[in-house]
Amino acid sequence: MVESSSRAVVGVFTYMDDALEAVKSFKAANIDYRMYSPVPRHEIEEVTYPQKSPVRTVALICAITGCISGFALAILCSLDWPMRTSAKNVVSIPAFFVPGYEWTILFGGLGTLASILVFCRLPSVLRAAGYDPRFSHDKFGVVVACPGNQVDDVRGRMLNSGADEVDVRDSL
Amino acid sequence: MEHTHSDKPTDSETPVSYAEVNDTVLKMLEPPGTGWFLLLFACLFFLAIGASCWFYQMWSGFGESGKSHPIGWGTYITNFVFWVGIAHSGTLISAVLYLFRAAFRQPIYRLAEAMTVFAVMTAGLFPIIHLGRPWYALWLMPYPNQRALWPQFRSPLLWDVFAVSTYFTISATFFFVGLIPDIAAARDRATTKFRKALYGVTCLGWRGSHIQWKHYQAAYLIFAAFATPLVVSVHSVVSWDFAMSIVPGWHATIFPPYFVAGAIFSGVAMVITLAIPLRKAFGLERLITPFHFDAMSKLILLTSGVVSYSYITEFYTAWFSNNPFERFQFWFRPFGEFWVAFWGMTFCNCIFPQLLWVKSLRTNIPFLFVLSIFINIGMWLERFNIIFQSLTREFIPAAWGGYNFSWVEVGITVGAFGWFGMWMTLFIKFFPSVAITEIKEILPPPMRRGGHGHGHDHGVAVGSGH
Repeated sequence: MVESSSRAVVGVFTYMDDALEAVKSFKAANIDYRMYSPVPRHEIEEVTYPQKSPVRTVALICAITGCISGFALAILCSLDWPMRTSAKNVVSIPAFFVPGYEWTILFGGLGTLASILVFCRLPSVLRAAGYDPRFSHDKFGVVVACPGNQVDDVRGRMLNSGADEVDVRDSL
Repeated sequence: MEHTHSDKPTDSETPVSYAEVNDTVLKMLEPPGTGWFLLLFACLFFLAIGASCWFYQMWSGFGESGKSHPIGWGTYITNFVFWVGIAHSGTLISAVLYLFRAAFRQPIYRLAEAMTVFAVMTAGLFPIIHLGRPWYALWLMPYPNQRALWPQFRSPLLWDVFAVSTYFTISATFFFVGLIPDIAAARDRATTKFRKALYGVTCLGWRGSHIQWKHYQAAYLIFAAFATPLVVSVHSVVSWDFAMSIVPGWHATIFPPYFVAGAIFSGVAMVITLAIPLRKAFGLERLITPFHFDAMSKLILLTSGVVSYSYITEFYTAWFSNNPFERFQFWFRPFGEFWVAFWGMTFCNCIFPQLLWVKSLRTNIPFLFVLSIFINIGMWLERFNIIFQSLTREFIPAAWGGYNFSWVEVGITVGAFGWFGMWMTLFIKFFPSVAITEIKEILPPPMRRGGHGHGHDHGVAVGSGH
């Protein structure tokens, strides 16, 4: 629960390893943080979020659902209006591979889109406390939301890690 | 500084930094000049021609298009296959080459992806135009109706509906997801209310936190994995529109790989056609270097070889089959009424691209621009040859016929180029047409300790990233 006097301490870093140094310091002290970067890097991922993303599982489930749905659509529609064409069976599994295959990809792709929106919390309509437009340009950022009495400690950790500047703002 | 050879930039050049990537690409979004407006006006003019012709066709009847017995499929289906083929290369570059970690992909893939989405949008117009009564287009979809009818799931034409609509949906989604971080960069630099609102809404509030990047990277890889089989499957399904029939010249098992290779061939050529003027107009020489053109040229050489081999195989199998109808069809193509189209196709697709064996020509920008246009002419002629020539000379002489192009179908063909051009022109001015984030990914990150971080020398003038 965020205290009413909660502040956002924003560290702006030019060098990635400085930002990672700060993150490691916060992790060691069990302080919650958020790191912003203009580009995804595996070095950042290894430090901040080494576990696997659940996006893959969601995509797999949706793809399997799509495959079953594609075949089911073709089979059920054919059985509902059983018209023999070109001497083929009414339920022609080789022919129905195409809708099954396409819906596997369609459902899998749309499921992946849904999962990225959910897990990345998009669309995000609230202003992100501590976000700086330079983080999409060429700077790295580390933001810590903390009570007022911890601001000096957090600021010190960031400056010791090599932050170019440290700003203290009101957090939402 | 322009490179004079296809090797990667030397270390003596000023390295590209993260800031420079942002500045160079986002500069393209500045208010447009006269040239952009002229280009947009030209596209809208052609589009207006196409729209007028289409309305005239709907008013007067489908016969105005020139389609009749025996050529029931003509220019519209040729255009449909042409545009779907163009689209495939974009997905190859953005998805397949992502999975293979190809070295030359990053600076050109956004343009290629945009080309894919707009080309599929263009292709999708033609089955609807070809219906004659486009208001019946909804009947292609399987929905419950009072006629108690369902579409025919054993028909390649319905497979096309599934394939092309899935391809458009996944391509557009993949395209949009890849754009999100770059639109956020544009949002952070926007100065006008309109652009702040446009980018703020379309980037969905993206901030680039470590949590977002983690899920984003996982999702992007999954998208690439889903889009990759579409490159092979969609144009294979389109080829089955022909191969599943018994028409001489159509009923061939080689059609799926033949069409897919041809699609990549024409698509890469179209990427070159678009990339060269874009690079020149916006000063992208440090991002799109001769290294990238050399790589694309090699891809063109490879696919030209596959397409040429496919042509030879078609002739050989027709001769070997001893089937008189197949043999006649493949005599008629080079020596019959439409011999110009056949030899034009052969020159543009098989002979002219062989000049790319010469290394200096692979990075000769004016030559590549001319070649890319010839290739697309050749690929349009290939679809013309397949469709028109086979239909004019089917099994018995009673089924033979000639063809005269109508001004309506020519106008609609021109309009399609205007439609495609309009979307590309709008896109390059409103959204980043070079992938900011992915170019930064291949640059070494700025590191205070331990020298430069792990980056990849991918032809972009690399450096400290700072």
